[in-house]
Amino acid sequence: MHVTPEIDAAGDPRPSGPRPGIDHDFNVAYITRVEGEGSLRLRVRDGGVVEARLSIFEAPRYFEQLVIGRTPDEVIDIVSRICGICPVAYQMSAVHGFEDLFEIEVDPEIRALRRLLYCGEWIQSHALHIYLLHAPDFLGYPSAIAMAADHKPIVAQGLAIKKVGNQILSTLGGRAIHPISVRVGGFSKVPTAAALAPLREALDGAVDAAMETVRMVAGFEVPEYHREPNLVSLVHPTEYPYNHGRIVSSDGVDLPVDRWDDAFEEIQVEGTNALQARTHDGGVYLLGPAARLTLSPGTLHPLAAEALAETGLGDVIRTNIYWSIAARAIELLHACAEARDIIDGYHRPAEPRVKWTARPGRAAWATEAPRGLLFHRYELDDRGRIAGAQIVPPTSQNQAAIEADLAAFAPSVLDLPHEEATLRLEQLIRSYDPCISCATHFLDLRVERPT
Amino acid sequence: MYLLRDALPGSPRGATNVNPTRAVRLLVCGSADRGDDGAALSAVAGLLAGLPPHLLSVMEVRRCEQLDLEDLLDLPDTTACVIADAVIGLPVGQIVTIPLSELPDRDAAALPIPRSSHVLPIGQLVAIAQVMRDRPLEGSFVGIGGRSFGFGRALGRPVRAALPAYRCAIEAALINAAATAEQRTL
Repeated sequence: MHVTPEIDAAGDPRPSGPRPGIDHDFNVAYITRVEGEGSLRLRVRDGGVVEARLSIFEAPRYFEQLVIGRTPDEVIDIVSRICGICPVAYQMSAVHGFEDLFEIEVDPEIRALRRLLYCGEWIQSHALHIYLLHAPDFLGYPSAIAMAADHKPIVAQGLAIKKVGNQILSTLGGRAIHPISVRVGGFSKVPTAAALAPLREALDGAVDAAMETVRMVAGFEVPEYHREPNLVSLVHPTEYPYNHGRIVSSDGVDLPVDRWDDAFEEIQVEGTNALQARTHDGGVYLLGPAARLTLSPGTLHPLAAEALAETGLGDVIRTNIYWSIAARAIELLHACAEARDIIDGYHRPAEPRVKWTARPGRAAWATEAPRGLLFHRYELDDRGRIAGAQIVPPTSQNQAAIEADLAAFAPSVLDLPHEEATLRLEQLIRSYDPCISCATHFLDLRVERPT
Repeated sequence: MYLLRDALPGSPRGATNVNPTRAVRLLVCGSADRGDDGAALSAVAGLLAGLPPHLLSVMEVRRCEQLDLEDLLDLPDTTACVIADAVIGLPVGQIVTIPLSELPDRDAAALPIPRSSHVLPIGQLVAIAQVMRDRPLEGSFVGIGGRSFGFGRALGRPVRAALPAYRCAIEAALINAAATAEQRTL
């Protein structure tokens, strides 16, 4: 939320400094335990929030220009470099868009392998966030390092789960970070069933550990908070949303997966290097685990659905963003269990990919990155090369919701000591698992730590 | 544009077969196709053939695009580690060697340290690894200041000019690490 300098009843600007005991300023120059470079500024005057701003000062990265003139397969390699945590999501949104434009039908086993690849990404990303970035907030530690000293088994469990996600990415994608096997029409190479067998064994342990994770986070003490957000995610009738479905919102949007821009748009906002996104009428919306769980409860893996029911958190996950850690844990369990099922039913396809012919037109698709809906749109010219591109990552879409939550939540912490209040506000931001690097597609990293 | 591949072995993240006999692990970070981010890869590629055989025989080399906790957690007790990476926060082309055991304190004290784009800052990775392993990590971080990390770019001229010195710094760190590891096994 951005508000112009407040004006008093006489029309004169109020003094800019806070009045002790009445006004509050919260400034976090460098938000920690998030991916990327951002800061928080919150100003409260007379008990009301006049400014809530999550500033993203990480430099722009220009990926939408880097892909101009490239072929579809080159684009898949390039966009995966936008993020070291969710490269699969970038590959998937791009590859499905191209395949839709070229009218390519992939083998069902290829489709299953892509879901398995996505499971691997969710596993490593969710495990990293739950255990190393977010859990310290709930267990009362300033960092994962301090937490590890007292809770070594917890950290070890998180690392063990994350390792399984890395294994899946390495096996299917050729390497754990920025995998290189995804191609238009399939994969450059597909694994044998024997190559997947070690994953199957590891996933048994990961499923058990993910169940433990759900039980652990369900026991966390979470700040009281309630806001009814407009939720947006893919929804599919028979499968938990990764690569397919329709774009659905809790306030009635229901669009084909390639028509994100029929309901939403990107806007430039002062003070941030990331474009933000709104509905066409300016509305703010929430993406990510809480949105997916709320809009697609019926397609969760039975183990995850059962675990969610046992927590009794289904309703508060929707309205209290601090419970996103529980939503993330449920999805972690879902991803581990579904990955195991996919391997159990795997039959190696005869060909790793189908042949295709490029054509001009609009290639667009959305998939579900760990942090939420990721939309890509490309214009292809007569040579089948990229003439225009738009990449809308989840964090830039969530940024307005983060600011709305900050504004709504801040009044409840004004009676707390300043440090504790600031920590609660940082914790709120971390609840979104923001990936600031994704939001800016930064090219040159020139931020230096203040001396 | 096709991704550049290099001859170094990839990180066996997720693999369980770690060679326990090597006294030194060299972790080579960065991407060859992101400008100065490929400095460590270039330096090590030109360094290995000239290393003394006795040093090569006790070394394990891993390429890890982004440093991961697993690369530190599965270090055998008697193995020392050298991490080579390009960084920002240093003048371009400047080389720094920092003992791994000092990185967490530098991070915690917010001293000017090389910043890198790993998911967790390197100081935190080292600190968590030390806590999980119940012992300090032996070895050092050898960084080189970079300026241009653009996708599809080659090494910048200042970094190219500093590569010989960077190779020397990495070699010195490897020799020290091997000596440390040898002392620990005696």
